[in-house]
Amino acid sequence: MFFRLIGLSLKVNALSELEYRANFFLQIIQSALSLVIGIGGIAIIFGHTDSLNGWSANQLLIVIGVYTLIGGVISFIIRPSLGELMQAVRAGTLDFTLLKPQDAQFMVSIKKFAIWQILDIVLGLGIITIGVIQTATTIGIGQIFTFLLMLLAGGIIIYSFWLMLASTAFWLIKVDNILFIFESMYEAGRYPVTIYPTWLQFVLTFFVPIAFAITVPAQALIGQLPIETGILALGIAIAIFILSRLIWIWGLRHYSGASA
Amino acid sequence: MINIYKVLIRNELLVELQYPLALAIWMLEKLLEPIIYLAVWTSVAVSQGGDVNGLTVADFAAYYIALLLVGHLTQNWHIWTIEWYVREGQLSKYLVRPIHPIHESITNDWIYKLLMMVVILPAMFLLAWLFSPSLQFDFGAILRFIPAICLAGALGFLGGWVVGLSAFWTTRNGTLVQMYFLMMLFFSGRIAPLELLPDFMRQIAFILPFRWIISFPIEVLLGWVAPQDAMVGIGIQFAWVVALILLAIAIWQMSVRRYSAVGG
Amino acid sequence: MTPIVHVEKLSKTYSVTDREGGLKAALKNLINRKKRDVKAVNEVSFDIEAGEIVGFLGPNGAGKTTTLKMLSGLLHPTAGVGQVLGFTPYKRERAYLSQMTLVMGQRNQLIWDIPATDSFDLNRVVYRLNPDDFKRTRDELVDLLELAPIITKPVRNLSLGERMKCEIAAALLHRPKVLFLDEPTLGLDVTSQRRIRAFIKDYNAKYGATVLLTSHYMADIEALCKRVIIIHHGKLIFDGELSQLAHQFSADKTISATLENPPENTDAFKVYGEVLGYEDGQIRLKIPKQNTSAMISKLLSEWSVLDVSIQEPPIEDVIEHIFASPKETSA
Repeated sequence: MFFRLIGLSLKVNALSELEYRANFFLQIIQSALSLVIGIGGIAIIFGHTDSLNGWSANQLLIVIGVYTLIGGVISFIIRPSLGELMQAVRAGTLDFTLLKPQDAQFMVSIKKFAIWQILDIVLGLGIITIGVIQTATTIGIGQIFTFLLMLLAGGIIIYSFWLMLASTAFWLIKVDNILFIFESMYEAGRYPVTIYPTWLQFVLTFFVPIAFAITVPAQALIGQLPIETGILALGIAIAIFILSRLIWIWGLRHYSGASA
Repeated sequence: MINIYKVLIRNELLVELQYPLALAIWMLEKLLEPIIYLAVWTSVAVSQGGDVNGLTVADFAAYYIALLLVGHLTQNWHIWTIEWYVREGQLSKYLVRPIHPIHESITNDWIYKLLMMVVILPAMFLLAWLFSPSLQFDFGAILRFIPAICLAGALGFLGGWVVGLSAFWTTRNGTLVQMYFLMMLFFSGRIAPLELLPDFMRQIAFILPFRWIISFPIEVLLGWVAPQDAMVGIGIQFAWVVALILLAIAIWQMSVRRYSAVGG
Repeated sequence: MTPIVHVEKLSKTYSVTDREGGLKAALKNLINRKKRDVKAVNEVSFDIEAGEIVGFLGPNGAGKTTTLKMLSGLLHPTAGVGQVLGFTPYKRERAYLSQMTLVMGQRNQLIWDIPATDSFDLNRVVYRLNPDDFKRTRDELVDLLELAPIITKPVRNLSLGERMKCEIAAALLHRPKVLFLDEPTLGLDVTSQRRIRAFIKDYNAKYGATVLLTSHYMADIEALCKRVIIIHHGKLIFDGELSQLAHQFSADKTISATLENPPENTDAFKVYGEVLGYEDGQIRLKIPKQNTSAMISKLLSEWSVLDVSIQEPPIEDVIEHIFASPKETSA
């Protein structure tokens, strides 16, 4: 059932997007530019040093790959759908979703896909692969499994975090700014959070969970992930998912209690 | 004309004051980018034994703290607003008014920038306290900084207008806007002070307008530019402003013509 | 038989922030927000039986939309009972949502950039409709609303009327038993209005669906509803047959008389009552109800009258009269 809805929503969005074909080419250009920034950043930095706080250029490439991959997932589904949610709360069009006999959180979360952003997902996977090949160390099945698990946990954490941000739209009117914050905070994920001052690492781990979404999976793939961190990531993924669900329900109650 | 601005300023203040939280959030957002690159370059400088190409940890700190100010004064978020208006067919609202919409844009721009200084200045002090920069302001540098930052602000504003209006030709130009910001990141001196860029990139950066928006005013402020060179730079900034004004006028006229032809 | 819609002392109170204009007030407002309670819906009670089409009237802000939203589960009532098909709407149970629909005239659920038929498909999955049933209902709706040429065009290319027809079709694909229609004809041209009206009537007759409808166009109400419910300032002020409305609320009757020798101006008629119009020798007068017969005899005796008729005032005027009255209108 859920998969069918996702599939159909994908199709519908693809059809919409096909109406604006020019965007596909713009997206190619944009992904390419983003890639240039990532790689260019590494090139500029490693033109002046051999290691950035213990990370080699190739390991940093893996970080960029995860950054691109998760960023792609965010802009492919999370941002469009939850951005639409905030818009819908303001415009009152959320009503239509609430009238449907389906779980409203699920419905709003798969409402909108930015189809061409799939390029970033592919690109992210590509960069990770290249990074892994270039590090020239063998990577075991265990590492890959941990990596995927951490990626899943990171995805859940990011999604839940976004849902909580988007849910603020139920109380606040002009909330798009909150998303801007996240976007720029996300930029910090281009680099391993370990290079930042301690206070910022703390912020990027617990307030805006970028560390779990990007640095932790990258560490897992390189084989440098402390086991406690991995367990912590899983625990936080479950906790934040439940928390975001509760906030969503609370917000929905507020919406149906107060909106005109 | 002055009356128009008076009313616009008042309304703009009213709008901004209605969303105090939004203001606070924008502040946080502004702090981050300088911190990221400051952290990166600090990390590099430390691993290289204290400096990169002669730039010390303290120099980087000074550079990125100045970037906070310059970045704020030259940014243009109208680029998104205009793009949105064009995309949603809301532009007619502005076209039917007897005053050119750029006046509203300019007012909005300045009110916001002045208002936000209230948070930018403390943020700069906070960063100064966290990263202990090398500061050696001389009066002449600050004097030269004034025209440099004004022209840089005008450049940032005009650039945003031109790119935002291009929405007319692409139906949805969010991508174009993002490209603009990506270029800005690279070639303006945000990702790294320009002298750390590889040669070919530095050359590109000198051809594009971006460096005149960000890195030039910063370097002037920090006294990294010799007075004569600063004057030449200000001249180049001025030339860019004139060029962009002409471009903005041309694009605006084409947009309006196209808008009335296609309809909203 | 239990009613399909059962509303008892239903109330909804909003807390609104008062704002004065001006900079000073804005600054003050930052610190101290004044809140005030507004009773959007105030102890409204009514029942609707299966198969009825009921007109729901009231001026803007009377509480119509709020009531509809409470009945469709979008808003929690502050107090009172609202039940539809035996369900409590705000629990938003799947079984309830699958049996009702809410159409809002100014909003759309159809996806802007793609043809309506693809949005229909999405609703099929969302409502878990059996493909055959879905197809049958869709084709029927397409037929009834004459949608065939338009459902394959992107919604953004449709006219307002066409879009509304598609909206209605999308809202009915799951064959709801209860329809809440909030201004379904708003902003449409007369032809589209008429078509939608006819469709609602057909749908109601065919499926025995219960309809609660708001509209600003009295023509909609007159064509569709035998019964109307009127709320004003959140309170129910009338619930009964449309034909009774004029009788109950209008203190006046309209007399039209065609005169054999029409005078230059209407001054001479002011003694009878208010002059509503005067053209081609026909005078229209508004006369208090209790004086009607006296005034007619007076008119007939004093003038040479070719033709005379007495009418209830037009329903629009009655409604306007009701809504213009101050807050405590007694029914």
